[in-house]
Amino acid sequence: DDEVRIRQKVTEVDPLEAANFEQELRAVVQESVEQRRQELRGRPALHMVMPITLFEGSNRDHHGRGFGGESGDEAMDEEAGGNKEVQVKVLVKRGNKQQTKQMYIPSDCSLIQSTKQKEAAEFEE
Amino acid sequence: EETGDDDVYEFGKGDFTEHACRYCGVSNPACVVRCNVPSCRKWFCNSRGNTSGSHIVNHLVRAKHKEVCLHKDSPLGETILECYNCGCRNVFLLGFISAKTESVVVLLCREPCLNVNALKDMNWDLSQWCPLIDDRCFLQWLVKIPSEQEQLRARQISAQQINKVEELWKSNPDATLEDLEKPGVDDEPQPVAVKYEDAYQYQNVFAPLIKLEADYDKMMKESQSKDNLTVRWDIGLNKKRIAYFVFPKEDNELRLVPGDELRLRYSGDAAHPAWQSVGHVIKLTAQEEVALELRVSQGVPVDVNHGFSVDFVWKSTSFDRMQGAMKTFAVDETSVSGYIYHHLLGHEVEVQMIRNTLPRRFGAPGLPELNASQVFAVKNVLQRPINLIQGPPGTGKTVTSAAIVYHMAKQGQGQVLVCAPSNVAVDQLAEKISATGLKVVRLCAKSREAVSSPVEHLTLHYQVRHLDTSEKSELHKLQQLKDEQGELSSSDEKKYKALKRATEREISQSADVICCTCVGAGDPRLANFRFRQVLIDESTQATEPECLIPLVLGAKQVVLVGDHCQLGPVIMCKKAARAGLAQSLFERLVLLGVKPIRLQVQYRMHPALSEFPSNSFYEGTLQNGVTVNERQLTGIDFPWPVPNRPMFFYVQMGQEEISASGTSYLNRTEAANVEKIVTTFLRSGVVPSQIGVITPYEGQRAYIVNYMSRNGALRQQLYKEIEVASVDSFQGREKDYIILSCVRSNEHQGIGFLNDPRRLNVALTRARYGIVILGNPKVLSKQLLWNSLLTHYKEHECLVEGPLNNLKQSMVQFQKPKKIYN
Ligand SMILES: [Zn+2]
Ligand SMILES: [Zn+2]
Ligand SMILES: [Zn+2]
Repeated sequence: DDEVRIRQKVTEVDPLEAANFEQELRAVVQESVEQRRQELRGRPALHMVMPITLFEGSNRDHHGRGFGGESGDEAMDEEAGGNKEVQVKVLVKRGNKQQTKQMYIPSDCSLIQSTKQKEAAEFEE
Repeated sequence: EETGDDDVYEFGKGDFTEHACRYCGVSNPACVVRCNVPSCRKWFCNSRGNTSGSHIVNHLVRAKHKEVCLHKDSPLGETILECYNCGCRNVFLLGFISAKTESVVVLLCREPCLNVNALKDMNWDLSQWCPLIDDRCFLQWLVKIPSEQEQLRARQISAQQINKVEELWKSNPDATLEDLEKPGVDDEPQPVAVKYEDAYQYQNVFAPLIKLEADYDKMMKESQSKDNLTVRWDIGLNKKRIAYFVFPKEDNELRLVPGDELRLRYSGDAAHPAWQSVGHVIKLTAQEEVALELRVSQGVPVDVNHGFSVDFVWKSTSFDRMQGAMKTFAVDETSVSGYIYHHLLGHEVEVQMIRNTLPRRFGAPGLPELNASQVFAVKNVLQRPINLIQGPPGTGKTVTSAAIVYHMAKQGQGQVLVCAPSNVAVDQLAEKISATGLKVVRLCAKSREAVSSPVEHLTLHYQVRHLDTSEKSELHKLQQLKDEQGELSSSDEKKYKALKRATEREISQSADVICCTCVGAGDPRLANFRFRQVLIDESTQATEPECLIPLVLGAKQVVLVGDHCQLGPVIMCKKAARAGLAQSLFERLVLLGVKPIRLQVQYRMHPALSEFPSNSFYEGTLQNGVTVNERQLTGIDFPWPVPNRPMFFYVQMGQEEISASGTSYLNRTEAANVEKIVTTFLRSGVVPSQIGVITPYEGQRAYIVNYMSRNGALRQQLYKEIEVASVDSFQGREKDYIILSCVRSNEHQGIGFLNDPRRLNVALTRARYGIVILGNPKVLSKQLLWNSLLTHYKEHECLVEGPLNNLKQSMVQFQKPKKIYN
């Protein structure tokens, strides 16, 4: 019940600061890419092993915290303000073991959008 | 002893600090990540604050660090972010991709994995790779953005500060943002402000000021050693040794108070080894005799009386608690409600009302009926989270406060905390609140438990001793044993302490109201208590950090009572005072636009005495709750120049002198005339306890005491019983008759202390029946306020000169006032 309404002061970011920072950030990314290329020169391509079970619809691995059951959640999210979220499984490695963790991603995230479009396209075909 | 328990309790040291964003302090596990560079390992949040990139991205870019780890309580658990395929951990290269079917996503680096042919054959849509850092933030669904509330309550850090602290971390990885602000040794400290960005900035301003004051206090007190003292020995009721001796005070502002710690030393002689012991001051007499209760009773050279030395033992407790409170205020979100937090920092908060059913009557049982302005104050306070009550002299602020506390306690929001900076004020308030029938516990510092108190029956230590139930019989037995023997065996002592602590907790928890000084609210015995409702009396005499100590125990509703037109807190370090440490929280809230509710009816002064203060300090709003008749004593025959106006300004032309110590002033002519006035009062039938002599200068105070006892025309004892005090120490008190000696009388220098209108207000409002002011109008009239006071006395034919039995109106010319005091 500790609700407090502050008269919003608009935080104005100094445009010069923003521009400088953007430039620095790009430099770091660029540098990282080049560094990585150097490192990998001459090394064989890496292999990726997909955990096949995942695609058989098994949901054994629930490690995500604070996320409840899978049914009914979407409906609840809609009620909460229309910002729909979809559940995804994030594939991570613990040492050499593969694990999936459940997470929610906003449905307007490009990651999801593209998948949905693809699905829709495939369906039409 | 009081500090003993403090050692184990550290303020603001909770687990919330460990993974807090090193820039802004946000500590929500879903919002922070740890920089995984082994030499760094600092945590940062994903909010932008005032900068273009989020804090973690800012750090990674500026420090050129590239690896991060998620918090163990975040949705993915403790996870180092790395490419699923090649293990690359450079976050600037990582991004998520999703499978074409199924909701599966995975982290993949863009170089080389995004370009590996093997992957193209799998069911991944590589064209939709989504970088981990997007729009200068981490993906918000992976690392959450702190809520608006969390961000508003965080430290507001600028891009410049980020650059500076990152620079500092290169040479000192453990540096904090506070280190950036630290002034050099000789720098003037940063002055106080009206508004603060956040509690960290607040702490950055006040912490150095408190440090300055603490250092000064230490230096002053530790230089107070005295040699060649004569000691008289006694034994207290608790079997402890008491040493009596005279500790002459210098004419500086340092005053010894009960509870202070002193070390008594004897260098030894042929028959006695060298000896020393620490003790607490339990009593001070008007004759400046100190009663010191020694901690250890064994080996005291009680057959020796001369040649003792005494030193002050300085304690940092009160300053430590202020620093602790500021830290708690900054890092602990539960320390005060959001509303109080933002309001105290001067952020624009939408007005909030408290929805409570109001009582039908606003008075309280056991208290006098309230007048209209008092009812108005109580009613308003019960509905608002932040309240200022201004109580001009004699307007019944203690009764009003007690009524407020009564109604708050009846609202069932838990225990109410009631504080004031001084022990005297706390005792008065505790007594009044207890009269309403509420269960009151008065918590005293351990060092003051032996100091007698008018509300002893309410004190925690007394209640612990007298809680007479069978379960407590063990404690009783041990207590008796301790009283008889003075000490207990170590196992018994252990048992005794544990039992005592448990009993203390039990009694405190069952109280409706806890009363203690502001500093006392930082007592470890209250560490686990929470108080939503806090009332601070005399709040205009406390520094801000002092006021903060009771507030950070969970305040949601705050009542500050005081009068910013009277004197503020005493700050001894000039540097700290100049920077604004003497400004109370009450005053700052007034500057921020909080309108104090003023109590308007005064019950102290003869209406002729309240007229000038009302007009000059309270815009003429002070009404008289007493009549002329009620302030006339029959049978007192004193030569007032105007019979119905028990006041006059007695023109003095004697010279001021600098006192022996070189730090104060005295005026012999005025002192001699004070004695004559006192004698006239005594002859006319007034008794010594009705008279108070006040003066702004310690040099004059000491001189008057001395002069009267040597030259008083009547019995010496009568003059000894008259209280002679500084104006400042008389704040909050009253006497039937007041004699004010102004001292200053020079053509060229200023009038120093007298320049402060708040000091004049205090001086003029102490008397109930009559006042005599002694001073030099030629000098005083240069100052605007004094000029109008003199004009007021002149217009009422109360500006007089000549012998007391033949007072004549003075024709002395005033000078033009030079500048307006502000
Ligand atoms: Zn780092
Ligand atoms: Zn942050
Ligand atoms: Zn990779």
